[in-house]
Amino acid sequence: MKDPTRREFLWTSGLGLLAAGCAPTAADYAQKSGRRVVVIGGGWGGTTAAKYVRLADPSIEVVLLEPNKQFVSCPFSNLVLSGVRTIDSITFGYDRLRAHGVRVLHDTATAIEPDAKRVRVGNDSLPYDRLIVSPGVEFQWEQVEGLAAAQDRVLHAWKAGPQTVELARQLQAMPDGGVFVLTIPPAVYRCPPGPYERTCQVAWYLKNNKPKSKLIVLDANPNIISKTALFRAAWASYPNIEYRGSNKVVKVDPGTREVTTELGDKVKYDVLNLIPPQRAGTIAVSADLVGADKRWCEVNHLTYESVKHKNIHVIGDSTIGLPVPKSGNIANAMGKISALAVVSLLSDKPVPPMAPGNTCYSWVSDREAIAVVNAYKIEGGKVVQIEQKLTPGQSEMWAQNAVGWATSIWQDMLG
Amino acid sequence: MERDNVMPIVLISLLLLALTGTAGAGPLDGPGAPTAVICSACHGFAGQSQSNTMPILAGMASWYFKKAIQDFAAGKRTSPEMEPYAKQVVQFGLDDVAAYFAAQKRTVTPVTSDPAAIERGRAAAAQCTLCHGASGKGDPAKGVPDLTGQPPGYLKSQMLLFKADKRSPGDAQLKVVKALMATIPDEQLADLAAYWSSVR
Repeated sequence: MKDPTRREFLWTSGLGLLAAGCAPTAADYAQKSGRRVVVIGGGWGGTTAAKYVRLADPSIEVVLLEPNKQFVSCPFSNLVLSGVRTIDSITFGYDRLRAHGVRVLHDTATAIEPDAKRVRVGNDSLPYDRLIVSPGVEFQWEQVEGLAAAQDRVLHAWKAGPQTVELARQLQAMPDGGVFVLTIPPAVYRCPPGPYERTCQVAWYLKNNKPKSKLIVLDANPNIISKTALFRAAWASYPNIEYRGSNKVVKVDPGTREVTTELGDKVKYDVLNLIPPQRAGTIAVSADLVGADKRWCEVNHLTYESVKHKNIHVIGDSTIGLPVPKSGNIANAMGKISALAVVSLLSDKPVPPMAPGNTCYSWVSDREAIAVVNAYKIEGGKVVQIEQKLTPGQSEMWAQNAVGWATSIWQDMLG
Repeated sequence: MERDNVMPIVLISLLLLALTGTAGAGPLDGPGAPTAVICSACHGFAGQSQSNTMPILAGMASWYFKKAIQDFAAGKRTSPEMEPYAKQVVQFGLDDVAAYFAAQKRTVTPVTSDPAAIERGRAAAAQCTLCHGASGKGDPAKGVPDLTGQPPGYLKSQMLLFKADKRSPGDAQLKVVKALMATIPDEQLADLAAYWSSVR
């Protein structure tokens, strides 16, 4: 009926048969015959990169390493906290990537050997011609006293999944009159407007379900760092929000259910959502891809090749130095740009100059959203912002566009 | 029937391609492709939009694509989402990107509408055909675009923007369509969107 279905059929019935028969392991790919790209991380950047290498040149073998069997979207996950969406509606499998010929291995990269051009997976190793690393963020537990020992009880819900569901459950179970405390780390962190959208969703839920309850937001930053005026306007509908800027949380005590700020203030909570400070994903640190700050990875703005190691490209939230936010949309764009760059480099062709773009919606209630959009160009080999534009206000139309965006970009990554 | 005869050849060719590793001209070739892939986050791979709200760009006439981008970039067709991206497309080469999308094989939206709404829309569609033609395919000579096969949510939102004079306010060319929209109840706009979305 439709060409894509036929193509998909070919892959799954023919070349994809190996993958369908039994789950492959890293040992199955210990030898490579032709050109191979290995991708570490199956999030917004990694899935996109893996798919687009295959789309650009199906003769290149692509192996994607991702320990989780399912992808859960961080964008839209704040709506799970307010009960507006289910976790199932933002959870997807990796099967359609396999239909593009991507070898998806549900395993963890344990080390990178840049000189030998190999990725270690336990005792096995995967040789590559080019490596794309998209490891997301890891939390700096040590930055908040008492946090490392209380990881199982103090929720971040900043990587969508079981913690999102558990935080929603705690919010629902909180008695009316209870205090929900949300803490925001100092910039730079994943998804700048995310905590403020979360503030809207928790406040909306409390307003409609637990009107005597309060939401205290302890922000390490002096003010809202993204879509500031739009969030301020939205919060006018939520008198249950108590926002405190320049309130960095330095200590948590789950026993007494209280957090302590840098200023020495102690704040009691019934439910706590502590978003810890962040750095590049662990493999980026252990493979020496991070800079002197030991936190983030500097890259070439045209190819996303690491400035520290040849043939290794880093994309997504782990990168630093580009004038872009750490967003899913940016990671998706970096996935495509790095994929086309890698394909060009492997074919000894010039790398096409490409710039990312950023579209970022935030839900301010169950039905209204706001947005920010950033466009970029390349100037002197660097990514430079052309313009940033905000919606003039909040509306249901932007929310409908948000749904359209999510539908499209999830398909672009995983479909 | 000819189609059936062609299939084995297509299969063999594809398998040969896979086995020999030869990459032919694909949807990522051409000078506009590297810029156009950034559009796919919202508009779908090769402009084949999968959502209800984003228009399909694949197969879009290049004159219409270019006018839309120029109007967005100039802030004439107001959209906080599209204005920055339009400027980015202009920066990287509007002609190439327009040519890229025009060259993609047009598909129709995967979003389906209620058959009853489609029928109600069909009964009311004559008012659109005066300008867009009986087929709804438009008339490039007069700057009238193709309505068919686009997502119903996109068509409806554009009609509502016309009705509220929020799409390209002050554009003399759009006076007639805006006057017409003002006479149509919102529910009928939804029916018209369902109908034109279903036309192939």
